[in-house]
Amino acid sequence: MHRVWKHILVITPIAIFIAAVGFLIFYPVPEPPVGEMEFARTSISLAAKDNAGTYSESLFYEARNYYDSAMVYWQKENGNNIYKRNYEKVRIFAGLAAKKANEASDDSENNTSSMNARLSQEIKALKETDASLTRRFSKYPLSSEIRNNISRGELLITEAELDWEKGQYMKAERKIKEAEQLLVPSYVYADANMRSYFRSYPQWKSWADTTIAESRLNQDYSIIVDKYSRKVIVYLNGEVQFSYSVELGKNWVGDKRLRGDKATPEGMYKITRMFKSDSTKYYKALLLDYPNDEDTAMFVAAIERGSLPRSAKIGGMIEIHGNGGKGSDWTAGCIALKDREMDSLFKIVKIGTPVTIIGSMYDLKHVLKR
Amino acid sequence: MKNKILMGLAAIAMVAVLASCGKKPQVEIDATNAAIAAAQTAEANVYLPAEFAALQDSMNAINNAITVVDGKLFKNYKDVVAKLATTKTLAEQVVANAAVKKDEIKKEAETLLTGIKTVVAENAKLLPKLPRGKEGAAVIEAIKADLGTVDATVAEAQGLFDKGAYMDALNKIKAANEKAGSINTEIKDVLKKARIRF
Repeated sequence: MHRVWKHILVITPIAIFIAAVGFLIFYPVPEPPVGEMEFARTSISLAAKDNAGTYSESLFYEARNYYDSAMVYWQKENGNNIYKRNYEKVRIFAGLAAKKANEASDDSENNTSSMNARLSQEIKALKETDASLTRRFSKYPLSSEIRNNISRGELLITEAELDWEKGQYMKAERKIKEAEQLLVPSYVYADANMRSYFRSYPQWKSWADTTIAESRLNQDYSIIVDKYSRKVIVYLNGEVQFSYSVELGKNWVGDKRLRGDKATPEGMYKITRMFKSDSTKYYKALLLDYPNDEDTAMFVAAIERGSLPRSAKIGGMIEIHGNGGKGSDWTAGCIALKDREMDSLFKIVKIGTPVTIIGSMYDLKHVLKR
Repeated sequence: MKNKILMGLAAIAMVAVLASCGKKPQVEIDATNAAIAAAQTAEANVYLPAEFAALQDSMNAINNAITVVDGKLFKNYKDVVAKLATTKTLAEQVVANAAVKKDEIKKEAETLLTGIKTVVAENAKLLPKLPRGKEGAAVIEAIKADLGTVDATVAEAQGLFDKGAYMDALNKIKAANEKAGSINTEIKDVLKKARIRF
């Protein structure tokens, strides 16, 4: 009897243990969401390869957040009793992560494709703007600030194009915007400046026609200074005899407004004095009657309008003189010729010879076409 | 009888061992994460973005596998440890590859930078020789502006290069190089037309 009990005492715990192990092995355990999590991870990985992190940022980060949440819930469930685990939330978040990652992938592909096309167009358009700037204004005096902006803009287009070729659309887009901000206002400014300047063309033409007619009528010499073409044109009997290149004041675009503005005036003048080499520091000089009555009236009106300060003074001593050929607009408003050309001019003109200074002999359309 | 008791205890011990022997390979996990961090420090994300992304993806897959094992009654991290070792080796390889790639980019940038400096110096030397006829001043002003921009860009690129941002420097240098080259051609064309020796 005693042995029977002994057997019972030994066998019972073993039987209980085996039953327990059997229970542990065969009792249904909730299946972990391995497939769903793997699918979500793969989807996110594919989205990352499609550059969704850059081109569909919000959707991609939503996907990542859902995935992280799924992981947190999974780890939390792992801490629970194996038979009491519930992976429902993990599955939901993994599903959402995969869905958002796929959306991010598609969105990124669409965005990169549309960005590729759009940026290509924008680069093309900017290159056209730059080509127009070069064509129209490469020889037009623009401030060094505008010139620097154009130059910087051109370089940015090249940089943007290199980024675009590498598929770095965000970088390319930033550079395109920067280039646009430099080139477009430069173009608008230069175009407006030139158009505004050429609004005076009818006046210039009228002055030029009068001067040529006067030469024909008096059978004498008349001079026209074409500032845009940088030419002094000498007429005799209404016909062009010869022309010389000239250099002007630094701010030659527009009329002279006040003393010291380094602008060359526009209007109909006459030679009032002739200076030989011993009376001028500019080799030889022909003094003009600037300011004439019209210039003085305009200057006074500008003071009264308040567009010039009361302290402003009207300019004077505008001459056609020698010492030219420096290659830049260096005078304080005078017209500079090379010494040998000054010699030729000096021989044929006299006091009273008409000198008409105009912006251009040609209209804007013609100038742009040239 | 004694043997049976011992067998029973052995069985219990075996189950206990099986249930608890799989300890999380924290040392290996930390080592692999450190290797990936080293790859990032080596700027693999900049110079070898695809390889670096693959590395990160491998680690994500391993984290998944670890969580799977974590949830099991009988934990066995053997596969995980093997995967961690592979990824660590891969990360070390990526570090080496990134260094090679970075060096290639550095050399390319360095060569271009030296070349562009020569062109810039030549342009500066040729500029005063340009003929100064009609409208020449505006053209010279435009060229001067271009040269100034190239100078500024080269300085900017040199700054990026000195900081070790070779990839960013390279793009700037390439753009500046193109510009400096076109200025050089423009100046030489004008000089040739004007029959000025240079």
